[in-house]
Amino acid sequence: MPLTPAIAQELLRILGADGLVTTPEGRMVYEADMHTFYKGAPDAVALPRTTAQVQAVVKLCRRESLAVVPRGSGTGLIGGAMAPKGGVMVSVNRMDGVLEVDLPNRCAVVQPGLINLWLTKAIGDRGYFFAPDPSSQMVSSIGGNVATNAGGPHCLKYGVTTNHVLGLEIVTGTGDLVRVGGKVVDGPGYDLTGVVVGSEGTFGIVTAITVRVLHTPEAVKTALATFASITEASEAVSEIIASGIVPAALEMLDAAIISAINASIGKIYPDAADAVLLIELDGPRAEVEAQAERVAIICRRHGAVSVSVAADEMERALLWKGRKEAAGAVGRLTSSYLLQDAVVPRSKLPQIMREMKAIAARHRLIIANVFHAGDGNLHPLICYDDRSAEDLERAKQANEELLAACIALGGSVTGEHGVGLDKAKNLPLQYGEADLNFMFRLRRVFDPAGLMNPDKLLPSHPACGEGFRPKRPVLPAGAWI
Amino acid sequence: MAVSTASMAGVFAERLGPDRLIVDPGALSAAAIDGHTPRFIVRPASIDHVAAVLAIAWDENLAVVPRGAGTALGLGAAPSRVDVVIDLTGLDHVLEDNPDDLTVSVEAGMTAGGLAERLAGRRQWLPMDPPGWRRRTLGGMIATNAAGPLRARYGALRDLVLGVRFVQADGVVTWGGARVVKSVTGYDVPKLMVGALGTLGVLCELTLRLQPMPEAEQTWLAPFTSIEAAQAFAARVVNSPLQPMRLELLNEAALRVCQAPSAPFGVAVAIGSAHPAVREQGEALAVLASGEKVRVAAVGEDLWTRYDAALTPAEDEVILRIGSLPSRLADTVEVIERAFPAAERAVLITGCASLGSLRVAITGADVETVKQLVEEMRGLTADFGGAVVVESAPTNVRAAFDPWGPVEPAALGLMRAIKQEFDARGVLNPGRFVGGL
Repeated sequence: MPLTPAIAQELLRILGADGLVTTPEGRMVYEADMHTFYKGAPDAVALPRTTAQVQAVVKLCRRESLAVVPRGSGTGLIGGAMAPKGGVMVSVNRMDGVLEVDLPNRCAVVQPGLINLWLTKAIGDRGYFFAPDPSSQMVSSIGGNVATNAGGPHCLKYGVTTNHVLGLEIVTGTGDLVRVGGKVVDGPGYDLTGVVVGSEGTFGIVTAITVRVLHTPEAVKTALATFASITEASEAVSEIIASGIVPAALEMLDAAIISAINASIGKIYPDAADAVLLIELDGPRAEVEAQAERVAIICRRHGAVSVSVAADEMERALLWKGRKEAAGAVGRLTSSYLLQDAVVPRSKLPQIMREMKAIAARHRLIIANVFHAGDGNLHPLICYDDRSAEDLERAKQANEELLAACIALGGSVTGEHGVGLDKAKNLPLQYGEADLNFMFRLRRVFDPAGLMNPDKLLPSHPACGEGFRPKRPVLPAGAWI
Repeated sequence: MAVSTASMAGVFAERLGPDRLIVDPGALSAAAIDGHTPRFIVRPASIDHVAAVLAIAWDENLAVVPRGAGTALGLGAAPSRVDVVIDLTGLDHVLEDNPDDLTVSVEAGMTAGGLAERLAGRRQWLPMDPPGWRRRTLGGMIATNAAGPLRARYGALRDLVLGVRFVQADGVVTWGGARVVKSVTGYDVPKLMVGALGTLGVLCELTLRLQPMPEAEQTWLAPFTSIEAAQAFAARVVNSPLQPMRLELLNEAALRVCQAPSAPFGVAVAIGSAHPAVREQGEALAVLASGEKVRVAAVGEDLWTRYDAALTPAEDEVILRIGSLPSRLADTVEVIERAFPAAERAVLITGCASLGSLRVAITGADVETVKQLVEEMRGLTADFGGAVVVESAPTNVRAAFDPWGPVEPAALGLMRAIKQEFDARGVLNPGRFVGGL
């Protein structure tokens, strides 16, 4: 349904004069997230300050059959926070407060627009931190992290967003305000908190989040291991994991990324390396010391040319600076790239890296790699020239082949970025008709009218439509009557 | 159309083979759940068998109770009806084992003890240790969201289940999640199944995240004369860089049954790490304890073996799971102890001090006393969103009050809608879950 002037007036009454964006240039700002392939400006952008306003907007949209698209900081990578069908975008940036810090119970209650890193800044001086650390953590919102179930380098040890969310307040697609979970674990009933995290705004809009916060570890040690071959580096990763060490982070950077970073940020990593591993261990001091020794031995056994440990906080920060700014540095290599984040079992890393090389060669493309090796979560940046349609086609083809290779090894379509508009079409790689249908029906419970973030997360597939009946066992009909 | 038991038995026997159907009256009455005797017990050998049974049950509107080891049938309300018990213990195979990835896929009827034996040789484990865990099936532990002391470090089963294959109420075989340790593809269906008591589907296959066993482990016990001091000590440990595997509170009676040194309260701290780190953390622990003017004593690891044996649920026991907070342990425990003065009856209080999750085991108490305690506890914990759930109790106790306790109406409405969507006929475990679902 179109957004009529009367509806715009009603939105204004709910949100106040500075709470609604309707001008074309204003709406344009919201037409895409960081996956700029996908564009779709909303008909209006609501900027609520309160849960009541969010609820009123959703109810109005439900009455008028308007699509509702939640948005945090817009730093997602999947075409999630954009409006392919128009409608009303609900941008929660102004709801950015820390509502409560309860350190004796190791939790905090925050609003969805709060920037991830701000929470750690608010509690860091008291010795606590919020563990999920997507590379975007300086700008991404915790609400967005919840929507995508975001990961990050340190999720190897600490788990992804869902492992740190204790409770939620959510306005569902029906406009109902529902509180699920909370500070106390083990409440009776279905784990609705668990199923809302990662639902990418298709169930509703989260308006408050109770998160777990952790005590800062006693010691941190960051090492850089340099390898002459990325296969050897991959083998080292597999053995570190198999040996029972759980590093806080275990990141791989390949030669293409290293040269881009060294060229744009300054010489951080050895130029001659085919791959480096950034290995961070944290925890009790003696444990970190013991594990660091074992990690160094494993790396050398797999052909590491050098293993060096950051001597102080400045060196450590520099090692991480290269990693965190890698995606930006890729501008040195290419005008454009496709990025995906498929996952393979950790033991299959050497194999997938070999296959990736073959795919890149076959399509005459550079594929640069900077990724969470410790949990097998790839981040290939498939470089192409955006002035050439043919180049783009080859990049897309390489992307699909790589995804298929990951799934064939027992992997997953996306490890932490989410599905959005970008990967919805790929879900049938991982799920059958019955599985997709289950998800479709689950979504319909939260959003019967199908207005919440339409076209995202689930594919347009018969199994995701009304009236589809998944296969049941064939029974000898009537045989026993 | 109503179908006779005899002709239905023929159908089950045809689909599963005659030796996988039990209709012997003695066996059926032994399998009764809260007084409801099933008409059939089926023992599927495959997920296809489970699917066939559920398809028949759906078409014929039979009530189905999935059963693993049968150790948690005292959880929740009495079922409103029982026609078929699906005994899942025949589904006990390892499907895919990936030692180097620290993942394993197993059938849901496998016992936790069976899995542990397989993993011990390579020093990996599924760190989940509710009392009596060795006998329990993994599917049953997941369906009931079971937890034990190791939760202090390793989280709950929701954090360890990566993928699930289950059969929906109408017989449709469904998969959710992934076989790798990190995936956000689609909705997190496994989370929906953990703790759902099989009311949305019968769990048949599970992909689990494993953890490396620590190189070394040591347990210390700190004795306290008051619960306030025990809480304060636990708070010091939580607010420190120590990373205990277990941080377990035990009252005097619990210490006694675990054959631990006697004290009004104890906090048992298990540290698992590299050898030198265990020693250092032990020293740090002693310093924290001296802040509460007590000495910690090293106790053997067999404390946890005794804990497991002593706290394994007995049939006539009432076991409550109390969701409190670390900062509210003292007043929570005081309410319990007031309801059951030590002289009259031994009440075992244990629980994870860093999560505020307590377990209370009461033997031989009268229904009215238990009911009053639960009501009082619910009143106390309601202020901070706590909960009291009856984890196990005889039928008459669970009939006297709601064993789940209240769920916020809007959230319960959503739960009802989910149940309605996936099991509109109420085939799966009808009446046992929250709100009579």
